[in-house]
Amino acid sequence: MPTYSRRSVLFGFGAAVGLASLPRHAFAALDGTPFTFLTDSEARSLALLCDTLIPQDDFPSASQAGVVDFIDLQLAGGYGRGEHLYMDGPHPQGTPEQGYQSPLRPAELWREGLAAMQTVIGPLEGQPQSALDQLMTDLSEDRPALAGRVGAKTFFTELHALTNQGYFADPIYGGNKGYAGWHMVGFPGAFGYFTDTVDAHNRPYRQPPMGIGHQPGTSDFNWER
Amino acid sequence: MARRLAKTDVVIIGAGWTGLTAAYELAHAGKRCVVLERGSYRHDADDFAAPKEHDELKYAVHHAHMINTRKETLTFRNNASQQALPMRRLGSFLPGVGLGGAGIHWNGQLWRPLPSDLEMRSHYENRYGADFIPDDLNVQDWGVTYDELEPHFDFYERICGTSGTAGQMADGPREGGNPFEGPRSADYPNPPMRQPIGPTKFGEAAQKLGYHPFPLPAANATKEYTNPYGAKLHPCTYCGFCERFGCGYYAKADPIICVYDQIKSHENFEIRYQAQVLRVEKSEDGKTATGVTYLTDAGEEVFQPADIVCMNAYGLWNVHLMLVSGLGKPYDPKTRTGTVGRNYAYQTMAGVNVFFDDQVVTNPFMGAGALGTVIDDFNGDNFDHSDLGFLGGGYIACTQTNGRPINYQPTPEGTPAWGADWKRAVRENYLHHASLTVHGSSMATPDNYLDLDPTWKDAYGRPLLRMTFNFPENDRRMADYVMGKAHEIARNMENVTSTSASNRAAEGSDYSIVPYQTTHNTGGTVMGTDPTTSVVNRFGQMWDHHNVFVFGAGLFPQNLGYNPTGPLMGVAYWTLDHMKNDYIANPRPLMDA
Repeated sequence: MPTYSRRSVLFGFGAAVGLASLPRHAFAALDGTPFTFLTDSEARSLALLCDTLIPQDDFPSASQAGVVDFIDLQLAGGYGRGEHLYMDGPHPQGTPEQGYQSPLRPAELWREGLAAMQTVIGPLEGQPQSALDQLMTDLSEDRPALAGRVGAKTFFTELHALTNQGYFADPIYGGNKGYAGWHMVGFPGAFGYFTDTVDAHNRPYRQPPMGIGHQPGTSDFNWER
Repeated sequence: MARRLAKTDVVIIGAGWTGLTAAYELAHAGKRCVVLERGSYRHDADDFAAPKEHDELKYAVHHAHMINTRKETLTFRNNASQQALPMRRLGSFLPGVGLGGAGIHWNGQLWRPLPSDLEMRSHYENRYGADFIPDDLNVQDWGVTYDELEPHFDFYERICGTSGTAGQMADGPREGGNPFEGPRSADYPNPPMRQPIGPTKFGEAAQKLGYHPFPLPAANATKEYTNPYGAKLHPCTYCGFCERFGCGYYAKADPIICVYDQIKSHENFEIRYQAQVLRVEKSEDGKTATGVTYLTDAGEEVFQPADIVCMNAYGLWNVHLMLVSGLGKPYDPKTRTGTVGRNYAYQTMAGVNVFFDDQVVTNPFMGAGALGTVIDDFNGDNFDHSDLGFLGGGYIACTQTNGRPINYQPTPEGTPAWGADWKRAVRENYLHHASLTVHGSSMATPDNYLDLDPTWKDAYGRPLLRMTFNFPENDRRMADYVMGKAHEIARNMENVTSTSASNRAAEGSDYSIVPYQTTHNTGGTVMGTDPTTSVVNRFGQMWDHHNVFVFGAGLFPQNLGYNPTGPLMGVAYWTLDHMKNDYIANPRPLMDA
């Protein structure tokens, strides 16, 4: 079983969809370090799912913007451990209005869900995008066999939420590489001071984004297609 | 056996807005106050400063300033035929923990109730006839009037350095304010917030349709300001990190800078952190409380005796503490007797998304929690309800609170939730969207209530609170009606390409604990003049235990169409006034049962 660095895991996927080159800034900081929670195989499957939710266009796909790195760190941290999740049983099935009722901590839920869907439909790697799109639709519509005891909709809800978070959260968490998500919408980041501009109507705000750990000179968007 | 401490005059449960204010007022009245806070010390200057505080994932998504459901949560069901299940993670509402409580992460939308709101049953019966209010609504008068509370509303507005435009002064109406508000003894202490393009266009359209737009009253200073306690506030920076965040600019009023800093050195003030109150203890005859038992950080049970117990926890947890302590009579929905947990209500939220063409650039990240333009034409009984088939109403506001990109992703109706089309829509609409909020009232019913759960327990072994709630038919109709008015305004705004309306309380959809709506849980410990339908009398004093005073939105008999902090602080100052000037010198029930 070969091992993959993050870059090669994700580069492999990028190449598969015909990406000529990756942005220099993506994954560079974490390249070569092993994933913290995910196995390489899980990371590759997850990249396919995340990129189905946020595909590449003029702006990077989810995995190209570091979302798999983000999710890996979340699963290894407080989110994965259920640090803010009441876990006492019993765990009867609830209504949608009653929210998360899984007996699994999120890290276990992701691992089981990823494994269960590949038991049903086979490995995600090598599947055409149309099949991945159909899978995502099925998950979102709660076709139950797809995620085993995890529950397809429950898995989809977590996957959708964390992919989104990884694309738009401050880059200190490993995603939103090169401020990809913030550049895409025009969000300037963590240093807001708008007393004199809030009522300057319809004037575009052109300052490049700056995050919490901002290093001067790193706001420029150099995404290469 | 709990270790017994030396007696104090007053023990105060919770260090949020009402708890710290009670400590300030009672300490200055010569009473030694001990405040018990289950969370930690924190301060705006050290803990809420940008850029570190401006972390959407940590605070808005992972709720770092809020309660941890692992320690305490509640169970929830839509109706009594279901099994209530634990709220395993936060969603619909976000109670706080730590110095300042939920008061540090509020949006600062600071309202007064309408005079008619406070006498709701009497008012509707007088105007529409004795049969107008249906039997399945527990609509009640508050037992206190607007005129009695007005000086306290005014004082709290000055504590917060509130920014706004007055509508009704003693000498008559003022242009640009809320013409429906009750008469004011003074103008707002600060001029209104500067309005971005979206709220401006909303105001223009509303005006054209004959409504009465005005700037949303904000507990954010718009110039250098010193409050009556001596706290200094600075002008708002419109950074877009109010709700769910503390303010490091000293611009959004909060209990730490506005109250705590001004009382922390007083000889009669003491605060203990990581002090988790487990129960209020009663005397042998049950007529009074003797103090509270709490758990220290080291896990030791301690009994703090006190002459007066002030319950200043978040409204839901005040109900919980009463139920686990045996204070008052628990509400029983079968017999419809008892009062603790009765008349739980919420807030009925609806909204309209407005999308502009490229001419309009909204810069949504230039925001503040209470930034916006609002009309009150369809709130309370400001409009004729004769033929509408419902009571109550709500304000319609075009706000610009934030552009934080994880949670702010407006897309036009019909956009898929993921994939290429979704991504394009997020990108194209982020800078060209405004949102209209319908912030609706919530009527109490016999079937919506709070009690103790039979199955699940908190980290301290106590039964969890159990919430049974769904939207009453009355409120579904109200929200649809007011949303229709909001939608009409949206369609009349200029440069609009599309609009879409949604009602959380739409017919056929049940209240869900999952998506955030508002942290405006009310009732359960309601105030009034009849001990069979209220937990506390019109002074906030428990009918059953005269040395227990209760604060917060739990006192609301039904919920207003306004954000609760202004109204509940007006009632808090009213209660404290009667404690200082009457009860302390002569402790007794202040009203005959």
